[in-house]
Amino acid sequence: MDFDWTADDIEYRAQLRGFLREALGPDWKGYKGLPPAEYKAAAGEFCRKMAARGYLTQSWPKEYGGGDAPAWRAAILSEEVGSPDGEPRGSQYMNVNWIGPAIMQFGSAEQKAYFLPRISAGNITFSQGFSEPDAGSDLASLRTRAIRDGDDYVVTGEKIWTSHTAIAEWLFLLVRTDPEEKRSKGITVLLTPMDTPGLKINKVLGFVGESAFSNPVFTEMRVPAANRLGPENGGWSVVRYALAFERIGVAHYRHAENQLNALAREANARGLMDDPAVQAKLGEAWEAVEAARLLYFRVVDLRAQGSPPTADSNVARVAGTRAYQVVAEAADLVLAEHSLGGSGRSRFNLTAGITSGATEIQLDQIATRWLNLPRPAVGARD
Amino acid sequence: MDLTLTTEQQQIVDAVRTLLTRHDTAARAKALLASDGYDHDLDSRLAEAGFTDIVAGDGTGPIEAGLVALEVAKAAGASAYAAGEIVAGKLLGANPQVPVALTRRPADFPFRFGRHARLLLIDAGDEAQALELGDGDVQPVDTDQVGWPMGRLAPGALARARNLGPGTGETLRRWWRLALAFETVGTMQGALDLTVQYVKDRVQFGRPIGEFQTLQHRLSELVVIVEGARWMALEAAFRDASPLSAATAAGRAAAAATLVARECHQMHGAIGLTREYPLHLWSTRLGPLGVELGGPLAHRREAARLRFSPQEIGAREAYWR
Repeated sequence: MDFDWTADDIEYRAQLRGFLREALGPDWKGYKGLPPAEYKAAAGEFCRKMAARGYLTQSWPKEYGGGDAPAWRAAILSEEVGSPDGEPRGSQYMNVNWIGPAIMQFGSAEQKAYFLPRISAGNITFSQGFSEPDAGSDLASLRTRAIRDGDDYVVTGEKIWTSHTAIAEWLFLLVRTDPEEKRSKGITVLLTPMDTPGLKINKVLGFVGESAFSNPVFTEMRVPAANRLGPENGGWSVVRYALAFERIGVAHYRHAENQLNALAREANARGLMDDPAVQAKLGEAWEAVEAARLLYFRVVDLRAQGSPPTADSNVARVAGTRAYQVVAEAADLVLAEHSLGGSGRSRFNLTAGITSGATEIQLDQIATRWLNLPRPAVGARD
Repeated sequence: MDLTLTTEQQQIVDAVRTLLTRHDTAARAKALLASDGYDHDLDSRLAEAGFTDIVAGDGTGPIEAGLVALEVAKAAGASAYAAGEIVAGKLLGANPQVPVALTRRPADFPFRFGRHARLLLIDAGDEAQALELGDGDVQPVDTDQVGWPMGRLAPGALARARNLGPGTGETLRRWWRLALAFETVGTMQGALDLTVQYVKDRVQFGRPIGEFQTLQHRLSELVVIVEGARWMALEAAFRDASPLSAATAAGRAAAAATLVARECHQMHGAIGLTREYPLHLWSTRLGPLGVELGGPLAHRREAARLRFSPQEIGAREAYWR
């Protein structure tokens, strides 16, 4: 058991930092406020720089142009790239972290030849078409219908909470191909070009930060059957495989720790650091951040040993969410009115437990997969 | 980074588990409760098996000692193993091989292991103190709802305590916090394991109550908290109980102790309130563990003082810049 970074890892981190300073400049403050085309161009340029240095798909197998990098390097990259000012890769992290691996695992030779070089060069952007108005946490109940017609599927339905649609060329789309199978068995993945006739994007404005979601609507949209990823009605396995990668993708505790540092600076500046209540709350928030970091590290450690995904990733996700929440509580305590109360200065407080899998779903998974409790009498089922 | 136990560490865990099972540790602890007793036989067995000289051993250290302390607590051992091996072992250079108790000035409150302890280590601020305890030095206290044998110092006994030298107070506190974190995590795990088994077995409304999502989510939350505390204790051990890592681990464990005790009792219902059913062995120990050395408030204030000084914030931000 060793909680220190190896000399190789320290050297790798130093090189990566050198690259990031060079590629982003010392004053990079995120892409906030950029119009979609400029955001896409800037994120794309950064990804191509990463690709040129072998960082972008460092974790991919060599046969697909990757670097076969150990899991700990992915964790270091996540710590370093996930700056408090935003994700300089834009949505590319999604392509690299789970769409690419899903195509490697389930794609046809043609799909691999088309998509993988483009992802590893940073030249393609996907949106994730999972949730529907009536299928959120209960994803398996999705209803967007795809009917086989000759060499095409004809798709009718809608998605929601879809990110990055303004910049994406492709949609990783989940559809129902077997209406008799009510749940996970009748689902299929279609890799769908965003400019397909019959696809219309409605915008859904978010109130948190600068985020906007989309509501893609499909009206008799024809997608070639050759764009299907994996077998017909076999899409659920693809999604489970993909999400197992997504769930450890981001070092959330780094954002939380950054917020906490800034907060403690303010507490010092305001002369509040001798207040026992402030000390206790900051100490509690620090514990929560440390717990989130160590539980995330444990998931990386399991991945490094080649372990299949376990409920450790659900434990880490819940701990990460709790860290944001306690930091937000500390912000309210230290800053009072200046914090604007919860959502203002610490927006992750309200989003952390919802994005990429609600906390309640994580808790379900821990109950059944870690504690081996029976499937709930009332609650989620696959 | 390598967060997996080495083969040797796993062997130590397996060996102490076997020892604790063969010793029928929880049943002995339960039998000893009536007499406010102490499991001297368990201490002898741990010593014979070589677990009482590992904190500064050849190829072993605080992680190995912490793992053993965690297992002893999880098995409800009525033993001061953690204080003797980890705290006294580090403060005095060797495990004194007698039951060790810990308290802090003004030492006017009850401490664990009471009249069974032969050595009392005292946090007196800058200095630590040691007091060899004889008959009459410790008075019993009513421990009706406490799973540890407790005692308090007799008037005048404190005057015989000898100072251990400048700076030893800090050494005592950080190793005490580490030992406390391991003992608390082990005790929480024991209560949680029993509760998970109970909700699988107990049938109400025609189904095991563990099928109810309202209980599942609460148990899952406890897993997140206890697992976090366990890893924090392990890292603090790896860091040789650095003041910040030890205070962070102790704060997390102490704050969780109350929650775990309350939730485990709630999920057991009335059976958990009986002497016959063993939940109280763990749950009533969590109270004293949660408040020891000042409890979460003291641990967290110490962690905040160390982690959020302007110098430390600057150093951390510089690291990430």
